[in-house]
Amino acid sequence: MTLRKPSPAVGIGYRSAIGDWTRDNLAHFDMLEITVDHCISSGEPVASEIFDLVGQIPMTAHGIGLSIGTDVPLDLAYLDKVATIVERLRAPAYSEHLAFTRAPGRDLANLLPLPKTEEVAGSIIAKVRMIQSRIPVPFLLENISYLFEWPESRMTDVEFLNLICRETDAGLLLDVENLYLNAHNHGFDPHAFLNDLPAGIVKEVHAAGGVTVHRDFLARPLLADSHSHPVPDDALDLLDRVLVRHRPDAVVLERDDRLLEFDEIMDDVHRIRARVAAVQSGSLHASTPVAASD
Amino acid sequence: MPARLLQRQISLLEYLTSAGAIFGDGVDVPPVPSLQGFDLAPLRLEACFSHEKRMEKIIAAFARTFELLGDNQATVVRDFVAACPSVDIRRIENARQFYDFACARWETTPPQPPYLRDVASCELAIATTRIKHKARPSQPVATAHTMRFRRNRDAVFLPCTYDIRPIFEGRVTDAPERRDVMLAILIPPDNDQPAIFEVPASVYGLLAELGTWTDRAALGPMEGLDELISDLADHGLLEVTSEAGH
Repeated sequence: MTLRKPSPAVGIGYRSAIGDWTRDNLAHFDMLEITVDHCISSGEPVASEIFDLVGQIPMTAHGIGLSIGTDVPLDLAYLDKVATIVERLRAPAYSEHLAFTRAPGRDLANLLPLPKTEEVAGSIIAKVRMIQSRIPVPFLLENISYLFEWPESRMTDVEFLNLICRETDAGLLLDVENLYLNAHNHGFDPHAFLNDLPAGIVKEVHAAGGVTVHRDFLARPLLADSHSHPVPDDALDLLDRVLVRHRPDAVVLERDDRLLEFDEIMDDVHRIRARVAAVQSGSLHASTPVAASD
Repeated sequence: MPARLLQRQISLLEYLTSAGAIFGDGVDVPPVPSLQGFDLAPLRLEACFSHEKRMEKIIAAFARTFELLGDNQATVVRDFVAACPSVDIRRIENARQFYDFACARWETTPPQPPYLRDVASCELAIATTRIKHKARPSQPVATAHTMRFRRNRDAVFLPCTYDIRPIFEGRVTDAPERRDVMLAILIPPDNDQPAIFEVPASVYGLLAELGTWTDRAALGPMEGLDELISDLADHGLLEVTSEAGH
């Protein structure tokens, strides 16, 4: 199944806590993003609610439980479950985070960054190829937001992503909020990041809204990816660039907190649609500088 | 990746789940050599985020327990973090981890108030019941009296020293009545919220016998048995089927 036109399809990440509301408002979305782990671990009723949507609306598959970056072999039994779910959803792609969340004996449940080195990239490349051999739809890697950096990192975010994607033909699920937060927290230019990505590599986009965090032990406030508030305009400005340069298949609004703020969620969907419409009308392309290679 | 990276990932996660990183006890220097070179302030923030997320899951399951802990909350949480790092992301596993920790603590330090253990046990039972219900919602109860029946496998039977039901029913009360009571926690048919019932000893005795599908006839003649079975089925304590071969 391909995502419904217009392209990109605009939708939200399905959350069972607001499943009824989502089903009641299905006409407002072109697609839904399904977290495969919810199908695996939430029990048959939740999975059935999701699978019942097959045929009603296109769905793409997203994972949070692989921990691809943990320095141990991939959990092939988990991947096989994912493959089954991807097939049942008729999902056009499967995405996961370029991150690790656990190590033997500990599970943080938070996405943590990897050392950005060629050696680590080599390990991830081998794992991506393994994923691609077991799941018969395009695999997309997602950029995470991160608070700390490994001291041995020798590559920039975009160099690390490009190396892995180039060697594996994996696409990107670009989270523009994560890019915005990382650029702010770590002091790099997000537009340069976007310009350094090969055109067309971004297949799906995440947008979300976070919070500013003040703690007495921080030298300055940091931005955190809480998926709890409206998408900031700065992140939507990055979306504009992505739309022009990469023509992604889908833009997904993620929301995991303050889920009952339905007006905010719907307003964000409309704001995203407005950005898409502006790009499609050509007005944005004419007024926004993009890289010469576009 | 060299094996060294896994060791560093383990060290990093040990640090991020430690009381030192979460509460800021002596975090000015890297706790282990393998964390040399990391900026510790953002690591602390990561640790705090993860801890807050984990405690949200636990407090959601033990809302009344935490309320009753009162001023002891902070100490209990600190000791819990030091003793029980996060090993699983699931809500129920974190709830069980906290419950086991609390019970072990109450072995040496009697809980205050004294009915706290019963309240915590009941809250864990409610959380467990919800999970089971999500995984396999209870079947509508068949009517009639010719059926086979068995004890509801998803019901949790909890012997308590205090009748703590008023705490869960929002009834204003000074303190729960101290008396031995068997409570059953389950989600009744046609409902999606857990309920707590008192089960008299004689009824519990009957339910204990009904672990497998049983014919009515196997129980022999007993005055009022059909009404009791019907009542237990209505409350969801018994699963009833008219089909053979289960």
